[in-house]
Amino acid sequence: MKLPGSRILPFPRFFFSSGLLILSLLICFFAGKEFLLQRQPEPIYPSPGLTSQKKLSDYFPALRKTAGETEVYIFEGQEPGGHIFLTGGTHPNEPAGFMTAVVLIENIAVEKGKIVIVPRANASAFTHSDPQEGNPQRFFLETVSGRRFFRLGSRLTNPVDQWPDPAIYINPGGQKLSGSEVRNLNRCYPGRPDGLLTERIAFGLMEVIRQEKIDLGIDVHESAPEYPVINALVFHENSSELAALVAMNMESFSFKIRLEASPPNLRGLSHREWGDAAHILAVLLETPNASHGRLKGKPSPALIVEGIDKFYPRAARSGRLFVDYPESGIPLKERVARHLASIISLIDAFNELFPEKEIKVKNIPEPAEVMRRGVGSFLHPPD
Amino acid sequence: MQIFYWLLVLYLTINVIISLFRERKPWNQVACSLVLILFLLRLLFIQ
Repeated sequence: MKLPGSRILPFPRFFFSSGLLILSLLICFFAGKEFLLQRQPEPIYPSPGLTSQKKLSDYFPALRKTAGETEVYIFEGQEPGGHIFLTGGTHPNEPAGFMTAVVLIENIAVEKGKIVIVPRANASAFTHSDPQEGNPQRFFLETVSGRRFFRLGSRLTNPVDQWPDPAIYINPGGQKLSGSEVRNLNRCYPGRPDGLLTERIAFGLMEVIRQEKIDLGIDVHESAPEYPVINALVFHENSSELAALVAMNMESFSFKIRLEASPPNLRGLSHREWGDAAHILAVLLETPNASHGRLKGKPSPALIVEGIDKFYPRAARSGRLFVDYPESGIPLKERVARHLASIISLIDAFNELFPEKEIKVKNIPEPAEVMRRGVGSFLHPPD
Repeated sequence: MQIFYWLLVLYLTINVIISLFRERKPWNQVACSLVLILFLLRLLFIQ
């Protein structure tokens, strides 16, 4: 073979070079295939109670054909009542938040009022993983007939979709934050219609709240066990009465919940801006998730689902955590059950405070049953 | 803009492939192929 400016290659060298080229192509093919799997969203099978399904761009057209596009599931009753907005997947590395939204979508039917659910609030953040964490791309749950996969994403929007980060980010509320927070959806509320992608997603979600005439917004999250706001409900000051009732209702599910008031000067978060900018009751829920804590051992799908980690119980015994962390772990089913108990309690408390806007929802899985049978028992089997 | 970037990566990829065949020392060829993997991934798979 003759290349420009070179003499004829000897055969062994040509074969060696060709072999390396073929090997490179094969490595690229398999590595690329694995990489692109991150962008494949898991299917969600809505319950027969779903009344309509929209896209976020139906509320804010600037998001059409962008990485911020995401599904909006609407469950509306025959009778009028209050309207609830629920977001999961604001931070896709907090799997119980996303899974709670999925469990609701696949089970509930609304008789009175309306529930609007956005399971992948930051769809772009589902398409990559946190760098240098060694996190698994997916975790798996057994349903009654077959195994389903779910993505473990990142806290932040994919840099492929929004880049570069500024040195300091001043969010729409005027708060100065570190540069990477420009890609954190829960620091970008109430969003900017002409801003960066994450700010536009936040603006789109605010449009859902405004156009669907929402009364109560619930943002479902998880936090690291060493983080002080844990097993908690963070509430806007306009929701303090609601939060107090929830804390009492939660006792009936044998869950204790900590109440945390949303600090008025902490701008850009859902529990602050949904209340201030859209004047709705706004709360945020947190459960303990070892898989995104700093003290965890080896990350794995089992750590996400079972929550068993050898370092967290030791940290709990040393008094370093804000939650008791048993050797048996805090599994996903317990975290989802806790979120469901909080949501049932929120609906009950809302009905008690606003009887003229009563919301009736059926088929929300019983938290005790979720604890006993696991999350997969309440999911649609795979196709 | 995207197409210019893609053409630039394509040009560099072709140069790396040419180097792979022109290099005399096997270790240099292996080094070329390692660089080539990154360029091919960027060119074909990673946006």
